[in-house]
Amino acid sequence: MNQLSDLKTGPTDRSYPMSIEPATNSDGGAAAAQSYPISIEHVTKEYSGSAVVEDLSFVAQPGRVTGFLGPNGAGKSTTMKILLGLASATKGSATIGGIAYRDLPNPTGTVGASVEADAFHPGRSGRNHLRILADATGTSLERVDEVLELVELSHAANRHAGGYSLGMKQRLGLAGALLCDPPVLVLDEPGNGLDPQGIRTLRNLLRSRAAAGDTVFVSSHLLGEVEQLADDVVVVNGGRLVAQGSLAEMRQSASIVRAASPEALRNALEGAGGVVDSGQSGTLVVRGLSLDEIGEQSFRAGIALHELSRHHDSLEDRFFAWTGDADGGTQSNTKEEK
Amino acid sequence: MNWLRIVRAELRKLTTTKMPLAFLIVFVVIGAGNAIAVAFGTDMDGSKTFISTAADQQSLIAFAANALVIAGLFGAIALAREYGHGTVVLTFLTTPRRPEAVIAQYAAAFVAGSVLGFVGAGVIAASMALGLSATDYGFMVSAADLAQVLAASTFAGGVGAVLGAGVGALVRNTGGAVTGTFLALVILPPLAVQMAGETATWVPGTLANVLSGTDNAAAVAAAIAAIALWALVPAAIGLVAVNRRDVV
Repeated sequence: MNQLSDLKTGPTDRSYPMSIEPATNSDGGAAAAQSYPISIEHVTKEYSGSAVVEDLSFVAQPGRVTGFLGPNGAGKSTTMKILLGLASATKGSATIGGIAYRDLPNPTGTVGASVEADAFHPGRSGRNHLRILADATGTSLERVDEVLELVELSHAANRHAGGYSLGMKQRLGLAGALLCDPPVLVLDEPGNGLDPQGIRTLRNLLRSRAAAGDTVFVSSHLLGEVEQLADDVVVVNGGRLVAQGSLAEMRQSASIVRAASPEALRNALEGAGGVVDSGQSGTLVVRGLSLDEIGEQSFRAGIALHELSRHHDSLEDRFFAWTGDADGGTQSNTKEEK
Repeated sequence: MNWLRIVRAELRKLTTTKMPLAFLIVFVVIGAGNAIAVAFGTDMDGSKTFISTAADQQSLIAFAANALVIAGLFGAIALAREYGHGTVVLTFLTTPRRPEAVIAQYAAAFVAGSVLGFVGAGVIAASMALGLSATDYGFMVSAADLAQVLAASTFAGGVGAVLGAGVGALVRNTGGAVTGTFLALVILPPLAVQMAGETATWVPGTLANVLSGTDNAAAVAAAIAAIALWALVPAAIGLVAVNRRDVV
């Protein structure tokens, strides 16, 4: 039985499945009552004068799952490490609830993180790995067994982590992140290596956490998974922000126009600030203008429209549009950046 | 901040792998060799003069210098593998103020190294007693001298582990950390003595023998301070390096 498939949590309910009670630790337990937005403000990270992350700013809101997307080397992991105090920013700041990670009064009770899928001693059992975390965070050892059960790893808890599959390692990393029942989760590629059942389990878990008011910030290159999981997305490419906003808005951010004089209409729409690409069968794909604005522009130009409709991009389509060129891709009427 | 709990976490790290067992096996092998040497070995003239007095026997079981090196390797491997396996990421997530995390690692290394030093000296003393049972000589080391040998080895083990941990934190690579520790404790001291003879008193081996009561080149208190300094310098450099660097 998939024990996470019956999640019933609401926005004001921090009760979790399988009788998992919020963990308490000697720093005062889970910080459930407070919300913790993740804020990245003008962060730049340079190595040897070369920028890996450049003037990056965005916010991941509580109560929402924020997907952090970008091709390999885009700066996702570096940004997460800066957020968690594992790397220092050359410029800018990264905070959780307005406080830098290292200054949080109860960091592990506030943020649960899994940023390295392989961060285990291969000769140590999964249970002992978590017991070390429990010792360091002042969490009870009983909680270790609870989170092992939660991520469905109890059967392998006494085996050496070196013998785990990638999916099992991901589950162990997730168990570590959940150990102190924190209101913020920061997970780097948590779906890597998980089987379909595991991905569904993970999705249900993260959705339930966000529904309970937690801040869930997840990097991934599994676009289909992010499409089903995230409320908001932040897209980076070459260390720069290329798009951010609600996933629903982004997927509906383009319009399809078919007109008698497409080139004249293209000129008119571009003159009004729209970004126009050629679509299939002579259509135009317009971003940056609403349907009303497109209609008004075509009316003023005296161009008859044969079709004007919303275009629903898949996240994959949008992702490749955003990351297809180094300048940051195209613009849309969501918060896309040049 | 709760020092006790993070030191406990670090100790659990050191005791939940097979590394301590591997070092225990090393001690048993050394002990077996020692017992065989005592039981069957002779001096050049065929006599057993080398075990004929309490002082001779105390010299043979004075394990502090060895404890310094062996525990040094233990500390170096333990810290460097934290970086190699990436578990240091979790260390710095649970204790984001890195100097506190590193000091806790050093503290745990000191405790583990002390245990190794004590066990090592105990195994050597026991093996010597075993070997002596096959000879005409009995175990002549007094209880007080045996206690000094054990205490010296315990302290030297702790100090050596901190030295190794400091090198491990600085180098972050197991091979490099082992090499660095070996250089610091085994290769560089005799070179220093060759270049400046007056340093002979203050090299780790001599200081360990002073602590064990088998050398009187320096006062015990001075030897304690000097041997601690040997560990504190690389430990401090390692701490500063860890605090300045990104975790990658």
